[in-house]
Amino acid sequence: MLVNGLAIGMLYVLIVLGMDMILRGTRILNFAHGQVYMLGAYAFYFTYLVFHLHFVLALILSGLAMLALGALSYLGVFGFVQRRFTPGTPFSYRLLMSAMASVGLMMILQQGTLLGFGTKERGIPSIFPQLLTFGSVRLPLERLFIVLISLLLCLFLYLLFFKTKLGKAMRAVSFDAEVCSLLGINTFWVYLLSFGIGCALAGIAGAIVAPVFSVSPDMGHGIITAALLVMMVGGIGSYKGALVGGLVIGLLSSFGFQFLGQLSQVLLFVFVIVFLIFRPGGILGEAHD
Amino acid sequence: MRLTISWRTSGKLAGLLLVLAVLVLLPLVIRSPYLIHLLIMTFIGVVLGMTFSMLFSTGLITLGAAAFYAIGAYTSALLTLNAGLSFWLALPLATLMAGVIALLLGSIIVRNPGVAFVVITFIFNAVVVEAAGGLRQLGGWGGILGIPRPDPIPLPFYGPVEFITKTPYYYLMLALLLLIMLVFYALYNSRIGRAWRAIKLSPALAETLGINLYRYRLLAFVIASSAAGVAGSFYAHYFQSIIPEAFGGWTSIYIQLYSVLGGLDFYLLGPAIGAAIMTFLPEFLRVAKEIEPLITGALLVMIILFFPGGILGTLRQFPRLGPASLSARLGEIKNWLLSGRNLR
Amino acid sequence: MALLEIRGLSKYFGGLAALSEVDLDVFESEILGVIGPNGAGKTTLFNVITGLLPPTSGRVRFKGEDITGLRADQIARRGIGRTFQASVLFGQATVFENVFTAFHMHYQQPGWKAFLRAPSARAEEELIRRRVMEVLEFMGLAPLKDELAMNLPHGHQRALGICLALATNPKLLLLDEPVTGMNPVETTTMVELIRKMRDGGTTIVIVEHDMRAIMSLCDRIAVLNYGRKIAEGSPEEIRNNQQVIEAYLGKKK
Repeated sequence: MLVNGLAIGMLYVLIVLGMDMILRGTRILNFAHGQVYMLGAYAFYFTYLVFHLHFVLALILSGLAMLALGALSYLGVFGFVQRRFTPGTPFSYRLLMSAMASVGLMMILQQGTLLGFGTKERGIPSIFPQLLTFGSVRLPLERLFIVLISLLLCLFLYLLFFKTKLGKAMRAVSFDAEVCSLLGINTFWVYLLSFGIGCALAGIAGAIVAPVFSVSPDMGHGIITAALLVMMVGGIGSYKGALVGGLVIGLLSSFGFQFLGQLSQVLLFVFVIVFLIFRPGGILGEAHD
Repeated sequence: MRLTISWRTSGKLAGLLLVLAVLVLLPLVIRSPYLIHLLIMTFIGVVLGMTFSMLFSTGLITLGAAAFYAIGAYTSALLTLNAGLSFWLALPLATLMAGVIALLLGSIIVRNPGVAFVVITFIFNAVVVEAAGGLRQLGGWGGILGIPRPDPIPLPFYGPVEFITKTPYYYLMLALLLLIMLVFYALYNSRIGRAWRAIKLSPALAETLGINLYRYRLLAFVIASSAAGVAGSFYAHYFQSIIPEAFGGWTSIYIQLYSVLGGLDFYLLGPAIGAAIMTFLPEFLRVAKEIEPLITGALLVMIILFFPGGILGTLRQFPRLGPASLSARLGEIKNWLLSGRNLR
Repeated sequence: MALLEIRGLSKYFGGLAALSEVDLDVFESEILGVIGPNGAGKTTLFNVITGLLPPTSGRVRFKGEDITGLRADQIARRGIGRTFQASVLFGQATVFENVFTAFHMHYQQPGWKAFLRAPSARAEEELIRRRVMEVLEFMGLAPLKDELAMNLPHGHQRALGICLALATNPKLLLLDEPVTGMNPVETTTMVELIRKMRDGGTTIVIVEHDMRAIMSLCDRIAVLNYGRKIAEGSPEEIRNNQQVIEAYLGKKK
């Protein structure tokens, strides 16, 4: 049960990290993120089950596929939307335009998947069906795997942000994009990659989860609500907050569901709102606005 | 983008009065109840769209308009069903309830404009839907059924007007819509509206000029949410049943869409046009339910990419299409016909 | 008693000291210049005084009242106006609408009366419209009143910024680089206008890099460097102050 909570928590962390990356990097609130998660699961389904590739390869391909999807979306849609903004455009207007564009994409992706793949839930046999047994404690290996991969990705992101030139550029751009373009940083590529990597994260999250939950078109909806909830608790745009918030919410929902069933949802929300009254910035505060 | 809305030509005023006259006379001419129903839904949509616009005029983006729509609906339903109140009393009470909850919620969240506000309103919407579905007292996922019709209104010469056919509902909603529009119009043209738009364009500058950001944003939030409550109350007694799903995130997104489609800078007419199109278009296209969101999504992306100003915003860029120049054009055509010379 | 008293004002951003223990007095009806190399903290000083940034420590007193930590709109209501370095205007509104909005604080009639279009409210609106034109004429922007603010050339945007600040009828006006980027003709006009404003009773604090403007306008000058005040006195004294010269080493005079 604990591991389950951890797994769900890390899952949320991945998704929210992706959204945060997109938000901080490109100032876009990506409502289509849930659909990217779902498509990552589908990609895994196809590469693993249909094409019979090794699961690691399938994972990587799913991630890459979603990276491509993200990059294409930015190229085709968001890039144009953002190019129109002048320094004088109010922030609310920019936010709305890009958020609405993402909503449109969400609808297209959602319905497209429904039409293309049908409503049938597809199951994937568990890759690690074993249980580790420590005395009386039984840990499902599958969930541990999720946690492990998530941690690996977090490590990868950390290295990316703090050790590579690209990472530094991304951080700089998220701080002040105008100055960066004056300094010669190619902001377009930074935006493109921020969006792409953010989507890749969601895609991988979907892929590793695919064997655990079944792959269906509904996956996107619930996850985005959870992701936004986590963002609220952890602080909008804060990476550390995503980590902490994701784990907190993941553990809470896992335990809550165990004990309270459906009602746990409502209580969770109420808890968040009450929490916000006392700490409007979330656990670690708003990274920037 | 104007800080004061003014009638540009008297032609505009005449045009609107014409539309109003048409709307008032329509039920006498149209026999199809379905069409009346569509119009009623449009009216509701306009009110909800104006909710979003009012908040956007302050620079706030809400994804929770449907939440207050729901609060109005549920409050009104419960007051009439459980407390035996008349609809005519339940309506203002439901509006008040929506306003009070908006005040409580708003006083907390209005301090965090921007992304935080969008996310919180979205979550609040989800909370309301979950609560409505999860609590038996609120009807659960099956919703509330058997909501009573409004009590008949005694009219002086006509006799009591009973709410059995759709027509009385039509006039009621039209009246509510017009009332709300007038109130909103008065607000936008006042010092309050100017303060809102100043906050939207540059909050820092507005503050330096003595505008209290928090107070004006909260005011917009409460007023807009109360209007949504009005629409909700009406909806409950029109449909006579309400289910939680009707008030979910999708609805809030569609509400946003009305404003974006019509034109974000047009706080009254934008949602009107947007709601009308979004309500009637699916009827004309007769597409399968599965494809509809796909088309709506594609439409949305197209609009954002190519027509960010919405319909009215795009038209505004072409002064040659405005009503004033239309009559000028007609004059030109008349002259041309009379003189046989080339049209310039 | 000074109109504005600043004591021990400090503002830290993380470990970086933008302002450090600044003491400053501004006396009524004077023109005080604040100069210093780039990054010395001049704009931060303005931001803290006007309430857009909370100070880390220190106190600000205006007309005897402690205004430290008040909100920007509360401070504006007490009579401090300011302009911004970059043109912060309501870009998508016309010049007239910009200034009209700036008169926000002057409405005497309560809101509900305006709501109902009562005659007294309409009369007040008329009055304000006239005052908008007065301000525009004072700054020479009247012919441009229907232009969108974002389409104005740089110099006019600056002037509009001053109009907005003037509309709030300030007792103390903080001008952030009013003549930067202007040609000599524009600069002379602006200098004249600033003198006229002071003669009208407004106390003025100017942050500027243009030394000629500073020297000709200011009664007194304060010099900031790395967030600290390193000198204060008459233009003569400042011109010959060794520390100031060192701080500006390499800068044009």
